[in-house]
Formats: sequence, C-alpha cells, structure tokens
Amino acid sequence: MTGTVLENLSGRKLAILISFLLACLVMCFLIGGLVAPMPANSQTILGTVCRDRSKVKNDTTKWFYNRGIGKCETVDLTEAQLSHDLSETDIVFAFQLPLPREGMKIDYSRWQQNLIGVLQMDVRYHSSMEVTRQSTITIDARLAYKNKGDPDDAWKLYTLSREKRHLDCDINVKIEGYLYNCSAMPLFELGSLYHDYYLLNIRLPVETKDMNAHIGHIEDMWVTAINQNGGFTKVWLSLKTVFFPCIVGILVWFWRRIHLLQRKPVLLEEMLFALGIALCVLDMPIEYLTLVFDLPFMLLLSDIRQGFFYASLFSFWLVFAGEHMLIQESKDKNSVRKYWRHLSAVLLGCVSLFVFDMCERGIQLRNPFYSIWVSELGTNLALTFIILAGISTGMYFLFLTYMVWKVFMNISHKRQSLPAMCSVRRLHYEGIVYRFKFLMLATLICAAMTVIGFILGQVAEGQWKWDDNIELQYTSAFFTGVYGMWNIYIFALLVLYAPSHKKWPVNENTSDTQNLSEEIEFNHMPEKSEISSFTSFITKSAID
Amino acid sequence: MGLLEFEKWSNQPGLFSEKSRFCARLRGLTPGQRRICRHHKDHMPTVSAGVRKGIEECQYQFQGRRWNCTITSDETVFGPLTLIASRETAFTHAITAAGVSLSISRACRDGSLASCGCSRASRPRHLHNDWVWGGCGDNLEYGYKFTESFVDVREREGKVKRGSREQGRQLMNRHNNEAGRRAVIKKSRVTCKCHGVSGSCSLITCWQQLATFREIGDYLHEKYEGATEVKVSRRGKLRVGNPNYSLPTPQDLVYLEESPNYCIKNETLGSFGTTGRNCNRTSPGIDGCAIMCCGRGYNTKRAVIKERCDCKFHWCCRVDCNICVKTVEIHTCK
Repeated sequence: MTGTVLENLSGRKLAILISFLLACLVMCFLIGGLVAPMPANSQTILGTVCRDRSKVKNDTTKWFYNRGIGKCETVDLTEAQLSHDLSETDIVFAFQLPLPREGMKIDYSRWQQNLIGVLQMDVRYHSSMEVTRQSTITIDARLAYKNKGDPDDAWKLYTLSREKRHLDCDINVKIEGYLYNCSAMPLFELGSLYHDYYLLNIRLPVETKDMNAHIGHIEDMWVTAINQNGGFTKVWLSLKTVFFPCIVGILVWFWRRIHLLQRKPVLLEEMLFALGIALCVLDMPIEYLTLVFDLPFMLLLSDIRQGFFYASLFSFWLVFAGEHMLIQESKDKNSVRKYWRHLSAVLLGCVSLFVFDMCERGIQLRNPFYSIWVSELGTNLALTFIILAGISTGMYFLFLTYMVWKVFMNISHKRQSLPAMCSVRRLHYEGIVYRFKFLMLATLICAAMTVIGFILGQVAEGQWKWDDNIELQYTSAFFTGVYGMWNIYIFALLVLYAPSHKKWPVNENTSDTQNLSEEIEFNHMPEKSEISSFTSFITKSAID
Repeated sequence: MGLLEFEKWSNQPGLFSEKSRFCARLRGLTPGQRRICRHHKDHMPTVSAGVRKGIEECQYQFQGRRWNCTITSDETVFGPLTLIASRETAFTHAITAAGVSLSISRACRDGSLASCGCSRASRPRHLHNDWVWGGCGDNLEYGYKFTESFVDVREREGKVKRGSREQGRQLMNRHNNEAGRRAVIKKSRVTCKCHGVSGSCSLITCWQQLATFREIGDYLHEKYEGATEVKVSRRGKLRVGNPNYSLPTPQDLVYLEESPNYCIKNETLGSFGTTGRNCNRTSPGIDGCAIMCCGRGYNTKRAVIKERCDCKFHWCCRVDCNICVKTVEIHTCK
C-alpha cells in the first residue's frame, strides 16, 4: 500500500497546490478587509420620557413612542422633580428603533440578523441621596414591533418581562450637577431581526419599599442597539455558499478514495471524515432561511455549530498525534475508545460551554431580556461552567503538547536506526515523518495566526477612536480570514491525507515520467495501512 | 446669536413649514447663517437650546469671579464683550460652540432631528441600502459638522484685509469654536460590548457615550486658564506671541488681547464692573470681597432666608424637604 497523496505528490505539484490554497486564503482576507463592512454596527438612542396618564398601568396594548402620529406626551425629568402630580408609575422611557437618518425613516432589514440592546443610565448626583456603589435596579421592559406599511400606532407586543439588573455606579467629583459613572447593563438579545421597527418601553416600578429605592436620580436612559451589518452578512454568506459545495465535493471524493481500497478505513481517516462533516455543518448557509422565516434560535445554533466544529478539530489533533505514536499491541483497528481519556477533556469543555450557552442564549429564546449574570446562583453557575471549560481547555493543550513532544522524541530517537534500513523502507518512513511534520507546521501556523489575529483585534478595538478613518476593516478581515483559513486547512488535509491512488500502476508506463521513480519506490511496500507500517517500524527498531 | 429669542417662538404652529420665514426674522444671524437656517429649519430650536446651555454653563463656571458671563438681552448676547479679543471672549465662543454641538448630537440620538447624517459622505444616493450594508456613522460627528458649518460661517463672511485685526479676530474665533467642538468629542467616553460566540469578546462593538455638559464646561475652564496669547502675522496666520510658549493645539483656547480687570463698568471693554455683586467676606480667593470689589469695600446687609434643606429624593418625582430658616449676611461690593 502506498501512503497518502502528500508523500506521493511531486514537489512541484505540492508547491502549486499550496500556493493556490494560499492565494485563496489571501483572497479571504482581502474580501473581509476591502469588501465587507465591519461586522456589527451600533446606534445609541436617548430615551424619551413619556407620561402615562392611564389608570391601569399593565395594559400591554398601550405603547409609548416619540415619533409619528399619536406620539406620547413628554416630561422633562430635570424639572419633573418639582411637580407633585407625577408618580413613578407614570414615567415611561420610550426607545424607538432604529433612528431616522437623512430625513428618512429607515427600517431594519432581515440581513441584519440579530439585535442586542445595552442599557446605560445617567444618574445625577445629589448630596441628599448618595447612591450606593452596587445597587439592584428593577426594570419593567416591554418590546413591541411593527412592520413597514403598518400605521404609526400599530405596535404589537413582542415580549415583556420584569428584570433585575446590577447598577454599578461611582463618582469622582461629588458636586451637585455631576453624573455618576455607571457601567452599561446588557438588556436584551434578539436572535432574529425579523420585523422592521421595534419599540422598547421601560418603566422603573416601585411596588415594595425597597424596589428601586436606591438607584438615585435617573436623568436620562440610553439604549445602544447593536446589530450585525447587512453587508457583512452578505459577504459571510457568500463565503459559506462558495465553501460549502467545495467541502462537500472534496468529502465525497475522499470517501470514495477510501472505499476504493481493499481495507477498511483506519481511525485517522474516519476522524478526518468526521472533521469534514463538522465543517460541512458549519459551512451550511442556513442563514438564508432567516430572510424568510423568523428563526430566533439562529444565534444559539451558530454557537453550537461552531462548538461542534472546534470539538471535532481538537479531537482530530489528539488522534492524529496519538496514531503517530502508539505502539500497536494488537492487529485490530484502533478505535476512538482508546482515546477516551484524552478526549474526555474536549468533551467536558464542550459540554460545559454548551450548558452555559443553553442557560444564557437558550433561555433568551423564551425571554430575550433574560441574563444569567443577574442572580447570584446564575452567576456562580455560569462561572462554574466557564471555569470548567477553561480547565479542560488547559488540560487538553497539556495533553496535546505532551503527545506531540512524545512523537517528536520517538521520531528523533528512532531516526538513528534509519540509515541501517533498506532505501525503500527508509524513504517510506521518512515520508511518514514528513507527513506528520507537515501537519504540525500547517496547524501551528493556522493556530498562531488565529491567536495573533484575535489579540491584534482586541488591541485595535481597545484603542477605538472616533476619528479613525481607515478604509480597511480589520475585524471583518480577521473573521473572514480565519474562517477561510480553517476551511482551506481542512480542505488541504482532506486532499493531502487521502490515500494515494498511485498503488495501481505497478508496472505500467505512466506518461508522467517525473513521478515514476517515486512511484516505483513505493510500489513494493507491504500491503498495510500506513499507520501500522509506521508503528511496525517503531516496534521493529525497538526490537533491533 | 439671535437664537436665544427663538425659544419664545418655537411653540408656534407651522414654524418649520416650507413657507415659514422665521429665519429672516431672527436677529443676529449673518446672511450665511440665514441660508443654513433655511435649509435646516428643524435644527434651530436645538441650536438655540445649545446656545442657552452654553451660556448657563459659562455662568456656572464663572460664578464668583469678577467677570461672571453676564449676558445682555440684545442680539449680541454677550454685549460689548465681543468687541475685545480677550480670554473671556475665547471662552464664550468655545462654550457656545460646544453647547450647540452637544445639543445637536443629543437631538440626533433621541430621534427628534430626522435629518442627522448617515455616513461621512454627503447624502448617500441609496440611503436604505447604505444603512443595511454598513450602518450609519456616529451622530457625534454630525453634531460636529453641523456646528462647524453653522457657527463658523459667521467668521468666513465679510472680506477682511490679510493680517488685519479683523482677520485676527476671525481666526481666533474659528480656533476657539473648534476647541469647543473638539471638547465635546474629547470628553465623550467609549463603551464596548462583547457579543461574539457565546457572548465572548471575539466580537466587540464600541460606541461613544456623550459627556455631560458640566464635564465639558470644566474641561474648557481648564483650557481658559491655560489659554495662549497669539498675534496675527502679516501673512494672515496666527502666531504665538511669546516664542518661549509652546504652540497651541486645536484643543487649546487662544486670545489676542489682554483682559481688562473687569472692576469698573466700561462698555467698550465689555466690562460690567463688580459694583453690586455679592462677595464672600471670609474667602481669601477670587470670590472674596477683597478681590471681587477691587478694594472699594463692601456693604453688609442682614437677611432672613427660607430654604429647603435635608432633602430626601425619591424616584422619580418626589423630593421631601424640610424648610430651614437662616439668617445670613449678604455682602455686596460698593
């Protein structure tokens, strides 16, 4: 049996293939950097303070908005403290999304995918009532929607909830008229942006003596609405639409290749195939459905798909390192069960992240205002899962580096016995070592680029300024680039690590004379899987 | 700056209709400002509110000083002060420009100004497509741009001789207006939110949070204290008067002439004098009677005042206070 395509490919062909893939990668970066806008966009909206004159306050058909026919009666809270006929239940903060621009009423498009709301408060300092640093605020939040063509007052209830949030304020200059410096609070997350207009009504109820008693004098409320940019979605989906058939095609080719062999597929090939399937799931452009249907679970689903992909990638690396190191005890096929100890770290990490995600984004499917970080139990639970995931990631990487180190030790140790072997066998084993090193190099480069890109992105965002007039969208380039990179990486793995077909032309004259010498050298290798031949080499040299 | 009286009108119906000619009726606007006013009628109440806030902030910052940002009721607003190119003039320009800029940005954010811009470019041809593709820019920028065109147009109109005093004034005003507008941006805070995979920080979106006007006022007051004296060169550029001083940045205030001491009323210098002003007898500082009254002495009057004290504030709209009666001595400059 011959090795994989990688070993049997001539240097020239390999160079052509690799430079082609690199060109694709550069294109992914450039598409992200030059064509796509930044991934997300935000609009900060100042709440209009409306006065609710109705007697019954929990009427969910009554909506307060500040633009269009039937807009609400506004109150100025700076003067309001003097008017005595106003009660706290009369105050409604209204936020109408999105804001108009250039004199036109703009609306959300379904291309914009999701909507995240962040709440900020302007709390005025009063010497007569100092706000404690940490206080809890109770919010009665109602979200309504409307579509194009609806009359101005045709708001329909989307969701409502009574929520608690931590208000974390401090102040440097304690003089009347100054504001506290309050941290932003996450308010809601909509997994689908199905409707055209949204309206948020916020009340601060005072029903018990302690409720909202220590929040100070709220002067203004700001909501920042973050949505994905339509242009980014378009570029992203186009990338997926291109990648998906490519990966499916190469996967089918890979599987056919394996089935053409006389033997059963080995573990490594199965893992590679599983990885390909995980990538297919990630690449599947199901986001197109959101343009037609209301699918709030999309945010959760994309998290799960991403998690599934990374889990299979991590497992693949482990098995790959392991398969190049294990000294085979039996002639049986290696199975995943052998790696249960190593893979349990991956599994634990994934499960804890999954549970955390279900607790946050899963519950947000039912109540978009839900946040796990509000209650003490929820915070502890979330932290537990995140720490668990962190520990298992650390363990995983320890395992992996240990295994890789062991493989390298094995290789360098056993290499000394190489010159004693016949040239054909030696070339073959060197091929296997080369194969391992090739993957190591490619993986390290990809991982390093991901990490460096991520860190650069954090630094670039940290120094975010108003006046940055850069045309290159770094964040988008990072996203499309990294996404393209892993796609190309797995594409290359599937191509290069597929079994070579060059075992058939035993004595035939191939037109490709250039490869002839290489082919012939591998023709007389024993009919074993390449993995077992490597392990047998190790056992053999150990016996020697 | 005839914008102050605008507030009186802003309740009239049909004010912003096409036919309304209120821009022509506003006093104190230059022809260029009238033109912008006609194009952006709905901006005018906001501009007016911004100017008022600027003046209020100016009076807060300079309370207890000889010059206390007194305004006159005529269209010049700051009265004869604007005749001289002093530090105080510099401050008034900066603070009103900042007020207008902040007001416009705020109005954009509460949706009351529908015509706020979308991107850096002038109006995009397919606004809706642009908004879906890449979103709209920040309103902070719109406030800056509008203020730049509306307030600075005043200083660009009218031919002046290069290197003349008038040209110096124009340059100085423009520089100080710019400093005011920049203060709004400088004091705004960046807030970020992570919203990547599972809420991680693989994706961060940041936005500008507007500062309060008090913070901007404090900042500009600092700039007032460190203002640089400049001269206008023959080539029509501003130059630092004393070559030992460092060059003023666009954030710094500049002035051309030394301030008067504001002790005695002098209309041509923009000084209202300190006669009749209250002062603090025990303070050794600038609000103390010795400095405030410029050595002329003061009158003392005893008065009984009632004021609210021990206030307890309840969200949203209730303040429980006691009434305290105090006897105080009021000192006024002779």
